[in-house]
Amino acid sequence: MLIFDQVHYYYRKGQPLLASVSFEIQEGEFVAIVGGNGSGKSTLARLMNGLLQPREGEVRLGHLSTRNTDDLIKIREQVGLVFQSPDDQFITTSVLDEVVFGLENLRVPREEMSVRVKQALRAVQMEDYAEAMPHKLSGGQKQRTAIASILAMRPRILVFDEATSMLDPQGRSQVLSVMHELHRQGMTIIHITHHMDEVLEAERVLLLNGGAIAFDGTPPELFRTGTLADHPLDQPFAVRLQHALGLNTGLKADWKEMIRTQWPTS
Amino acid sequence: MAYELKQVSVSLAGREVLRDISCTLQEGKWISIIGPTGAGKSTFAKVIKGLIPAYKGEYTLHRQPLPGDSKGRMKAVREIGYVFQYPEQQIFETTVYKELTFGPKMLGHSRGRIEEALEPVLRQVGLPAEILSASPLVLSGGQKRRVAIASVLITDPKLLILDEPTAGLDPLSRQALLQMLREWQQANHRTVLFISHQMEDVAEYSDEVMVFHEGQLLGHSDPGTLFMKNTEILRRAGLPLPEPVQLLRLVEELSGRTIEVDSCRERDIFDKVRLVWEARGLHHDE
Repeated sequence: MLIFDQVHYYYRKGQPLLASVSFEIQEGEFVAIVGGNGSGKSTLARLMNGLLQPREGEVRLGHLSTRNTDDLIKIREQVGLVFQSPDDQFITTSVLDEVVFGLENLRVPREEMSVRVKQALRAVQMEDYAEAMPHKLSGGQKQRTAIASILAMRPRILVFDEATSMLDPQGRSQVLSVMHELHRQGMTIIHITHHMDEVLEAERVLLLNGGAIAFDGTPPELFRTGTLADHPLDQPFAVRLQHALGLNTGLKADWKEMIRTQWPTS
Repeated sequence: MAYELKQVSVSLAGREVLRDISCTLQEGKWISIIGPTGAGKSTFAKVIKGLIPAYKGEYTLHRQPLPGDSKGRMKAVREIGYVFQYPEQQIFETTVYKELTFGPKMLGHSRGRIEEALEPVLRQVGLPAEILSASPLVLSGGQKRRVAIASVLITDPKLLILDEPTAGLDPLSRQALLQMLREWQQANHRTVLFISHQMEDVAEYSDEVMVFHEGQLLGHSDPGTLFMKNTEILRRAGLPLPEPVQLLRLVEELSGRTIEVDSCRERDIFDKVRLVWEARGLHHDE
């Protein structure tokens, strides 16, 4: 559904950041994207909804192309981006207005707007904060408001660009649970992160390195194959624990369940 | 040598953001500060650095009361280094050399002292000497972060405040930076205030941990006591136990016995857990 076809990108000529990157993400997938600093992860996110245009190649959403300016609005309605610092994107004085703003720009009729806003705030469990000022919220609440303002536009794909990296532990777990709930409801989730524990919870992981996709597979494959040794990434806690105990099967993101099921019984 | 606060409170825009804080920050310690967003962690660090004038209570710097006026607070400002979140965003000079020498020049360090400090500080943060003539604009994100931190280290701070210094870094860069800063702190017997949301980093690196919640200091102890004994404090602050400690608790529950561990570091807990696991006599391979 979301297709990167031989995509090249550079900020400076002669210094390619992405070189011939091709992959497809199917509807309803939960894909993590990892890589060292400067590997092009955020650029990839911005190419997904046409904030950036490929220098060569094409980014397509179904039959729409980010190269085609007539398609751009449709693509941006369908591919929502959640950034690291929600503070940077708040422009109104209440959570409600923040969610309404995007819909007003899309000229959504009033009655429908009200339904969508309610649904979006409920999806991120922020219904009780509709009148609150965004700047006075906790980190997790701010990020959930940012997600609601995108959800109201009814996207099919949500791209999280290190959206959990600045949050305290509680905020992080709130945002992650929203992400997984949306995925259960059928949304395509693309999660760019440095937290390998979060990667283990994805269905698929893309590893970016030197402008190319260095790995495309399931998280257990990535962590089992030793691929990580060549990259500035670490192993999730569950994998380190497996190594410490000499286990080599039954890797689970929920390491507590992993230990419970493999605990020697006599 | 110590930094001491007695019943310090701070109000900002009519809201009390720090309430009745009393504490002593001893020289030569790595002190981590944890707490949820809005708990008062950064405000506390700014009081220590002397950036916030209007506070109630007393601030004693090396047994001398620190006056609250701007001149009085300069003593704290001068001897304390502050690495803000995303410090590379405040780089403004045209070369790394100018960036690194700006701070010590402003503090009145002699030219000779500054020149002598350049090479060691670059080595400390793992950057080559050739980088001095480069424009900060052409550096990678990780290099910029190191230049920004070097520009604080070169002022030779007695106390270094690190406000989430690893945010946005990939895992290996994060570990390398923390190890480098820990080595600097120990080799020079300096004090570090480390603000972090990563409980595992806090368990790994700290000599002491301070827990903030809604403007109050709920606890101040060594990490072992906080994470293994006084866990009620963490619960009140809405913070999780570090994962290795959670593992220890789970294994205690499964084995039905208490496991004694002196440290809350991952490798020490893994060693203990492995022994308990193996003592069950049923290694998964067998």
